[in-house]
Amino acid sequence: MMVKHHPNENLLAEYAAGSLPFGLSIGISAHLHFCSHCQHRLEQLNSLGGSLLEEGQSVPVDEGLLDKLMARIDNPIEMPASSASRFNLPGVVEKLVPDLKALRWRRLSPSLKVSRLNTGQDRYEVALHKISRGGKVAEHGHRGQEVTVVLKGSFSDDDGVYTPGDFLLREPGDIHRPRATQNQDCLCLSVVEAPVSLTGWFYRLLNPFLGFKPS
Amino acid sequence: MHVKSERNDDWSSLLSEVGSNRDRAAFIRLFKHFAPLIKGYSLSKTPRDMGVENSDELVQEVMLKVWQKAPYFDSRKAAASTWIYTIARNCRIDLLRRGAKHQNTGLEADDVWQPDEDNEPYSLLQHSRDHDSIKSCFRQLPVEQSHILTKVYMEGKSHSEVASELDLPLGTVKSRVRLALKKLQVMLRG
Ligand SMILES: [Zn+2]
Repeated sequence: MMVKHHPNENLLAEYAAGSLPFGLSIGISAHLHFCSHCQHRLEQLNSLGGSLLEEGQSVPVDEGLLDKLMARIDNPIEMPASSASRFNLPGVVEKLVPDLKALRWRRLSPSLKVSRLNTGQDRYEVALHKISRGGKVAEHGHRGQEVTVVLKGSFSDDDGVYTPGDFLLREPGDIHRPRATQNQDCLCLSVVEAPVSLTGWFYRLLNPFLGFKPS
Repeated sequence: MHVKSERNDDWSSLLSEVGSNRDRAAFIRLFKHFAPLIKGYSLSKTPRDMGVENSDELVQEVMLKVWQKAPYFDSRKAAASTWIYTIARNCRIDLLRRGAKHQNTGLEADDVWQPDEDNEPYSLLQHSRDHDSIKSCFRQLPVEQSHILTKVYMEGKSHSEVASELDLPLGTVKSRVRLALKKLQVMLRG
């Protein structure tokens, strides 16, 4: 399976540097699960980080620190058990969604459902979207930056067909009209920038597609 | 029996010793080299009010993870400094998120910046060469480019934060980062 749409160099560099906002980083993380090409790009960007660490300023640490640390390493190591993949989804999605079948979906139109995920930050709204097979989503614009990663199935818009792993970045004002392919439901992860003026409790009741007429 | 291509750099072999033999002396040597670097890394980002104690705490947390995770270190995949960098980066992200009182959702930096999945090393040769030369290539970048990369990586600033700090258009920051990375890639290939 070929992933055709990748995050750009800037996004991946910010991710490697740890300076990309947490919400967007979740989108990159999901893409990396599907894309060995970007895993290798990331390795290079990480090794730039390693070099900069070595070249960076060296600041003496407190003298007692080593002793404290050596005392701590005597404690038995508790490594978290690596959780087996249950739904064959990216690790970060499986962590956010303990049980895909128990998710509560909200119907936005006859063919589109959404389930918001709690990621502990409100700068970006992170959600799963499901477009039922053959379903169309009304043409809509975006109020902020939006990242979409296809997780299962596929959808298309006027620009092409998107399959699992494909990473799409849309800027505010982009207009598109996604539709799922005929034979399968489409599951996507979406990360949408929350406009500064709309971050109150009321906003949390809204969602990216609210206000668009179902088609 | 497959051919192993160990890295030549000393830190990576020390780290492998820590991983396979739980070698404390090797760990102490790693600590003496990397702890001050991790502290420098931490101080370049940590807001002033979080103070120096937090930097020492971060150093301790990072080095503890180095000890715990060392058995998973694979010198064919990354240099010790790169591997330690990713641990320090994730710990710093978690520390800052805790400081910003994010709701606790159980989601940690390790879940989002996950260590490599089980992918095979890309190309062993490519790898060791990358690391050996990336430092010298970095020094050859124009200052305006290396400066921005340092801000993005060490100070952990997003492109837009760098843009407002340097009073540059966001597009300029983005294109300098792209140019710098492209140059590094060309130099690494060349
Ligand atoms: Zn990719």
